[in-house]
Amino acid sequence: MRRVAVTGIGLVSPLGHNAADVFEAARAGRSGIHRLQIAGAHRLAAPLAATVQFDGTEHFEPPQFRLLDRVSQFAVVAARRALADAGCGLTEAERRRAGVFMGTGMGGTLSIDEGYQTLYGENSDRIKPMMILKGMHNAPAAWIGIENGWRGPNLTYSTACSSSSVAIGEAWLRVACGAMDIAIAGGSEAPLSLGSLKAWEAMHTLASEDAADPARSCKPFCRSRSGMVLGEGAALVVLEPWDRALARGAAIHGELLGYGLTTDAGHIARPSIDGQAEAMAAALAAAGIAAADVDSINAHGTGTQANDLAETAAIKRVFGARACQIPVSATKALHGHLLGAAGALEFVLSLLALRHGIALPTLHLDVPDPDCDLDYVAHGARVGAAGRTMLSNSFAFGGTNAVLALRAVA
Amino acid sequence: MTSVTFNNTEKRIRALLVKDFEVDPGTLTLDARLNELGVDSIGMAELIFNVEDEFGLKLPDVAVQLSTFGEVVQFIDEAVAGQRAAAAPYPVAHGVQTAA
Repeated sequence: MRRVAVTGIGLVSPLGHNAADVFEAARAGRSGIHRLQIAGAHRLAAPLAATVQFDGTEHFEPPQFRLLDRVSQFAVVAARRALADAGCGLTEAERRRAGVFMGTGMGGTLSIDEGYQTLYGENSDRIKPMMILKGMHNAPAAWIGIENGWRGPNLTYSTACSSSSVAIGEAWLRVACGAMDIAIAGGSEAPLSLGSLKAWEAMHTLASEDAADPARSCKPFCRSRSGMVLGEGAALVVLEPWDRALARGAAIHGELLGYGLTTDAGHIARPSIDGQAEAMAAALAAAGIAAADVDSINAHGTGTQANDLAETAAIKRVFGARACQIPVSATKALHGHLLGAAGALEFVLSLLALRHGIALPTLHLDVPDPDCDLDYVAHGARVGAAGRTMLSNSFAFGGTNAVLALRAVA
Repeated sequence: MTSVTFNNTEKRIRALLVKDFEVDPGTLTLDARLNELGVDSIGMAELIFNVEDEFGLKLPDVAVQLSTFGEVVQFIDEAVAGQRAAAAPYPVAHGVQTAA
């Protein structure tokens, strides 16, 4: 297997649009969560979200803009940024083997929601002709391929909240084994339609609004945690063989060491300690490292009762007595839950944490849950605590657990 | 064969193509081919949708080949004329189907 370098980062996120801004917001603990303002928001019990400052018309000419759901707009713009960051112009032969690996949980749900509003809400048959092309899950990946002329594998993974970690992991596999020489991988999500939010609300997974400050509503590992807050955005990375990156003088953000993937095959929504622990162990095995080598973790850390308990127990199972000494950051308190893009954004934050040597904070952890007793970096970013090697956890409804193992450059 | 409304129909469809597809008005001659104007089969579905809104028409989903701007104008013009003659909401006997 070949070593795999991350040579490009592209972001469209609630914390900002480039790595420096996003990391600084995360380090400083500036939450991207706020009151949501969409039509019908008053019908939500807690109208909260982490939104992106983004106007698609600034990035696309009208003929193309009309074909792109917001999820594809995010994806294409993030891809432009990642490829510009990587600075890798490809030859025609290289483009034939270059792959796009995307994750999304809800695809073009805004376009689907709009179509159903026409059909059912307005009792009209005037469904717009582009609803299928805008709504399909593989549209974000397809548009990245079209814009760049990348003609290798163009794949979309939809495993709910682990989608983009799976996408990055599957791309890593192909680059590492020599099947391809360059891939762009990550996720995109634009789930903030009323229909989608009401569906999540109906599952009783969303956080209630913090009485003092809406920005404090998502509280991973806190005793008073009440659920997650949805977010939108995209995060993409460029992966290529380490030697190729060195040969062309690329700036390397970090090394993707390996990827663990397991399936609970149990409950459709309840997390499994076994499944999560086995995914972390599988990532260690794929990376060729021991549990003792892991210096810090970016947790899945949704802020739901079930996840945070299970993840705490799973980390203890993998790391034993040392578990309580490992900094565990739950950054969803900052950027919300980006569903199919969450894993990719957290992987990028992990790369940046390693580069800066700073363990990112878990915000709003004022009163710890006695059953969540790890070191969650509760009181602000911790300089010098990220170490050299991290795991980034992503667990999902449906039971797909994906864990990425990564290492700092030097 | 053109109706008395042809010029008005042409003007309205021309405006749609310029606004929605960013077609250069200078290239919009009646014999201009749609695919060369950037209106492919998918774009045609969208154009027809917007034409239906513009003219208050509903075109049945039956295949007809429209290759040039002029053919679109004539087709829509006849549909408008047919609608007026029948004074019914769905008067035309033929419509547009796009490639899948």
